[in-house]
Amino acid sequence: MMRLAYRNLFHNKVRMTISAGGVALALMLILSLDAIFNGVEEQITAYIDNSGADIFVTQSGVRNMHMASSTIPVETIDSVEAVPGVDAVTPIHYLTNMIVLGEERQLAYIIGLPEGAAMGKPWNIVAGDNIPKKGDAIIDQKLASNVGIDLGDKVEIMGRSFNVGGLSQGTESLVNSVAFISIEDFTAIRAAPGSISFLLVKVAPGESYDRVTRDIEAQVPGVTVQTRMEFAANERQVVKDMGTDIIAIMNLVGFLIGLAVMALTVYTAILTRKREYGMLKALGATNRHLYVSVFFQALLSVVLGFGLGLAFTLVLAEGLSRLGSTLVLVINSASLIKVGMLSLIIASLSAALPVRQISGLDPALVYRG
Amino acid sequence: MLVARRNLAKDKMRLGLSIVGVGLAIMLILLLNGFLTGMNRQITAYLDRSPGEILVSQKGVSNLLGATSILAPGVSTEVEETEGVDLVIPILSQFIILDLHDKKQPVYLVGYIPELGGGPWQLAAGREPQGVGEVVFDRVLANRHKIQIGDRLNITGADYTVVGLSEGTTSWMTSFIFLHKKAAEELMRSPQVTSFLLVKTHEGAEAINVLQKLTELDGLEAFFKSTVSENDLRIFAEVFSTPLRLIVAIAFFVGSLVVGLVIYTATIERQREYGVLKAIGARNGVLYQIVVIQALVAAVTGALFGLLLVYSASWGIMSLRPQYLIVLDPMIAMWALVSGLGMALAAAIYPVRVIAGLAPAEVFSK
Repeated sequence: MMRLAYRNLFHNKVRMTISAGGVALALMLILSLDAIFNGVEEQITAYIDNSGADIFVTQSGVRNMHMASSTIPVETIDSVEAVPGVDAVTPIHYLTNMIVLGEERQLAYIIGLPEGAAMGKPWNIVAGDNIPKKGDAIIDQKLASNVGIDLGDKVEIMGRSFNVGGLSQGTESLVNSVAFISIEDFTAIRAAPGSISFLLVKVAPGESYDRVTRDIEAQVPGVTVQTRMEFAANERQVVKDMGTDIIAIMNLVGFLIGLAVMALTVYTAILTRKREYGMLKALGATNRHLYVSVFFQALLSVVLGFGLGLAFTLVLAEGLSRLGSTLVLVINSASLIKVGMLSLIIASLSAALPVRQISGLDPALVYRG
Repeated sequence: MLVARRNLAKDKMRLGLSIVGVGLAIMLILLLNGFLTGMNRQITAYLDRSPGEILVSQKGVSNLLGATSILAPGVSTEVEETEGVDLVIPILSQFIILDLHDKKQPVYLVGYIPELGGGPWQLAAGREPQGVGEVVFDRVLANRHKIQIGDRLNITGADYTVVGLSEGTTSWMTSFIFLHKKAAEELMRSPQVTSFLLVKTHEGAEAINVLQKLTELDGLEAFFKSTVSENDLRIFAEVFSTPLRLIVAIAFFVGSLVVGLVIYTATIERQREYGVLKAIGARNGVLYQIVVIQALVAAVTGALFGLLLVYSASWGIMSLRPQYLIVLDPMIAMWALVSGLGMALAAAIYPVRVIAGLAPAEVFSK
């Protein structure tokens, strides 16, 4: 029966291509949306992941960087440095603002870095300085090249003109880029001396991150302390929570489209082979034999569609990356398992549709006309 | 026409499935567009409903959402003294992330002075904040998290009492919450700082002239609120347009494939009959018409079904998840038909080629 299903499926290559292609596109809808959100999750934590800090100290109750603001008094720096197990502390300023590059405006995390910062600086410099001098800004290289800006050119950040002193890579995402200026410039523009946004903490070798985190929180008032992993996880959680409903809706629509395409294909394939199925019944095949054949045919098509859908998504991800798009697609095992399960359900349901046709098939049909 | 209709209607199950497939693809396209339109309306809600015609920000800031603006104390007086300015409303605003029932909920916090305005434009219940420990919550967000008037909430380390619920201040990404400006200054640890000034001009004063004068002030930017709305929309459009276009393109291809499969099968099944028609003198043009009409009927019926689906789906989504606003454009029917026509034409290409290659003699050879 499996051989029959295989032959039936591959007998008409155009129909098979259309059906596998249709299912592939429907599954691609689900896969690509998952991949978009996975990509954003990965991009959004790039600064935190590459900061070099083990612990982040923020204003009490602030557990995120994206869409958040944190203000802590500068005296906190000394208090944190005094906690046993703390090796180094780098204070940074942070807010979200526009970088104006000629006619272009781009949303960016603006990071104010102290001279000689050990942490929180750009992690992949392709040209120029890796810590901004006074009056200089380090901006993303891809963003700069898109508008023809190079080292020494002018950009505007928070209403002030800066020389491009460095170009970094990996600092641009679908949502925003990251730009670095000196903490001196930041404080002057923000007109908020005496405060800082975040403290990046390096734990001394051999010390436990968790113990130092707990000690800072216990000894320094008015702050929230998280390990880098916790801080990044909270950041990813924002994207996850914002995307949950959208992903659920898209998954449902993608599933229904895939189901409609597959049901249509299996139904059409059975209909055009009605006489042959009647012949099999006349030769003694039971309804169960025929159901197995139909299910296997649907399963084969869906497996093909799944493979194609995955291939399309991978090609799309590679294409976007080569085109330099900020839209990054990341396919993970969780979405592959989810789409695999949906594919199985699609195959089972679409195979159930022609059951009535098969069970009602008259074996004598084959002897008529 | 009759041949096309009969050919298509011969198998109702097949036709039904194709209509469902096309309908779902069209629904997806229209739903995404409706979602985007609704999101745009939600993004500009504060600027649309807040008082004043002009927004003053820190130099270099041309957005309300997404960008942080900090105006030093004293700027408000400078703006008030500008010729043609009637009223200046300071607000201190910032995105913050709330942790509600283990969910991360971004909200846009607006600190305002109730006597001047700039707060919620419609209260569903309760009153505006009068003291520093009070907050007005968006009604939809409050309902989702079972927050009621009188409840105490911790916002970035400090406790606030919910004294009011605002209407029309929600969106799927972020909802608005309102505090007294003094409370916002404490929460952001930014005493006497203002983010933006909403400026009302004197009756009779030319708003454009007032705007011009305000832009001349040192360290400030001034824009009509409509310009700031456009800038905010541009930021979000940049983020969402690429993924959205990608999904719409996939949906369009799926729809074309569904119609294509039906028309192809119907054409192949009737290959001999098409051969007979050719043999008795029907020209290719006539046969193409039959195929295209079948594709059109399947696609346009599917498009109409898609319209029905999109209205039902958007009603369902907005009832279950009121934070989503799906605005279906009055031109939606036209877009559905255009998408359906596009799918029909794309779907007819291959079957038309099959017919073109058909030998009239084939019918007699079997």
